[in-house]
Amino acid sequence: MNELLYIDPGIGAMLAQAGIAAAAGVAIFYKTVLHTVKSWLGIQPKKDKADFDDVYDTEKDN
Amino acid sequence: MQRHPSSFRDPSGYVFMDQGKLYRKILPSYFETYDQLNDQGIYQSLFDKAWLIPHEEISRDDQSIIICPQKIELITYPYEWSFTQYKHAAQLTLRIQSFLLKRNCSLKDASAFNISFYQGKAIHLDTLSIEPYQQDQPWKALLQFNQHFLGPLLLAQRQGSHALKSLLYRIEGVPLKEVKSHLGLLSRFHPVLYPHVHLLAKTEVGTLQQHAQVQDKATLNKDSQLKMLKALDLYIGDMEMKENTEWSQYYDHTNYDEDSFQEKKDLIASWCQELQPKTIMDVGGNDGTFGRQLLNQLEHLVVADIDQPAIDQCYKKSIQTGKVTSLVCDLSQPSPGLGFENQERDALIKRWEEFAPDAVLALALIHHLSLGNNLPFEMTAAFFARFSPYLIIEFPHREDSWVQFLLDSKRDARHLFDGYHVSAFAKAYQQYFKLIKSTPIKGTHRTLFLFQRHEG
Repeated sequence: MNELLYIDPGIGAMLAQAGIAAAAGVAIFYKTVLHTVKSWLGIQPKKDKADFDDVYDTEKDN
Repeated sequence: MQRHPSSFRDPSGYVFMDQGKLYRKILPSYFETYDQLNDQGIYQSLFDKAWLIPHEEISRDDQSIIICPQKIELITYPYEWSFTQYKHAAQLTLRIQSFLLKRNCSLKDASAFNISFYQGKAIHLDTLSIEPYQQDQPWKALLQFNQHFLGPLLLAQRQGSHALKSLLYRIEGVPLKEVKSHLGLLSRFHPVLYPHVHLLAKTEVGTLQQHAQVQDKATLNKDSQLKMLKALDLYIGDMEMKENTEWSQYYDHTNYDEDSFQEKKDLIASWCQELQPKTIMDVGGNDGTFGRQLLNQLEHLVVADIDQPAIDQCYKKSIQTGKVTSLVCDLSQPSPGLGFENQERDALIKRWEEFAPDAVLALALIHHLSLGNNLPFEMTAAFFARFSPYLIIEFPHREDSWVQFLLDSKRDARHLFDGYHVSAFAKAYQQYFKLIKSTPIKGTHRTLFLFQRHEG
């Protein structure tokens, strides 16, 4: 019973983050490839006029 | 000096009210971090980007530092946001975490209640949420982020906009186990959905064993964390919700022709020119068309409507003006007080009373309240009188096609609504207000009224 004792719900998520970050690499790679293929085919990404980067200050983000 | 009932979760300090003004008291345990953030210019950079609510340091001694944050025009909670507002609040949280990480800091929590809207845009409210980054430590707020942001957004895509109100009945966030059960089989192979929902759902209850492991095993270098944040940000940025709206095409097929519509706009503009209100609340305001035409003379406009897509349009159309707060609300059941003693999150009505706009607009609304919700005129009059000294309200007569439709839908009970009449309306409203003027809108069966509240 003790083993299932509630401690901190964030703990398991911290342990899992190495795996999550590895998958993130795949997600970003997939997105980049998709974007490149679409631009080869001349497909413009649908631009939402309220895209976060268009309306919030992200200039000095990096 | 009274501690605000919402401020008890963070041992680093708390918010209190003094003579109607809000302050934040920082306790000695957070002094070092606070000074470090000031010295590194991190607070200032976040203020410059309008990502964190700016504050001014008022006093400092050994026991406490007192800061005074700028006043938010009207606090809105996650369960009052439209889909795009929710997305932007989520993305802002991720961008702040990336920004901090690059400067060796981190957000210690990622509650959606840390975000509200100020000058039209999402902004982080909690000055004390920032802590120093520990080398290779994973982001401790990730699970909370997914329960507060990603979960409700995913559910809204699948179930409709009511799921955006998830935190109304799950103030600590939506359990990912529940979110997982609504995702399809393919999500198990998705590089964002599998790890952030399926995998994390398995970790929602921490165990003693994990607690022992976490000290030495839970590591993640900074670059990997940044990559994880970016993937999540890209995914949320691309999320869309297709939902038909009751009202978002409303202005295309109302019983107004173009001239009548323009006359209504002109009438409102000329009355507001006389009243010179600085703040207006447009209740049942659809996409805010009538309120937004007044922005030149206003300091702030609040637009509230039951229809999520209409409020989403309103937010998108007015975000750059910096003067509009948009919120989704059902007037027949506005958000209640929530949390410990029902005081942690204020009821919407209380927040509206505190906002106390100079004028309220209630256009094309009364027939829905009176005939759709069966609310007597006396009750809606008393309701509007709570907020503002002036009320501009449109009354659609019995001949109006919308009123006809609503009356027809009463079928056998239609005769019970014989009291829906302009004379009964005017009489009931004059119990609370003085009638200043009324003008029929040409080409319609509608009349516009200007009322002034009886004071004292």
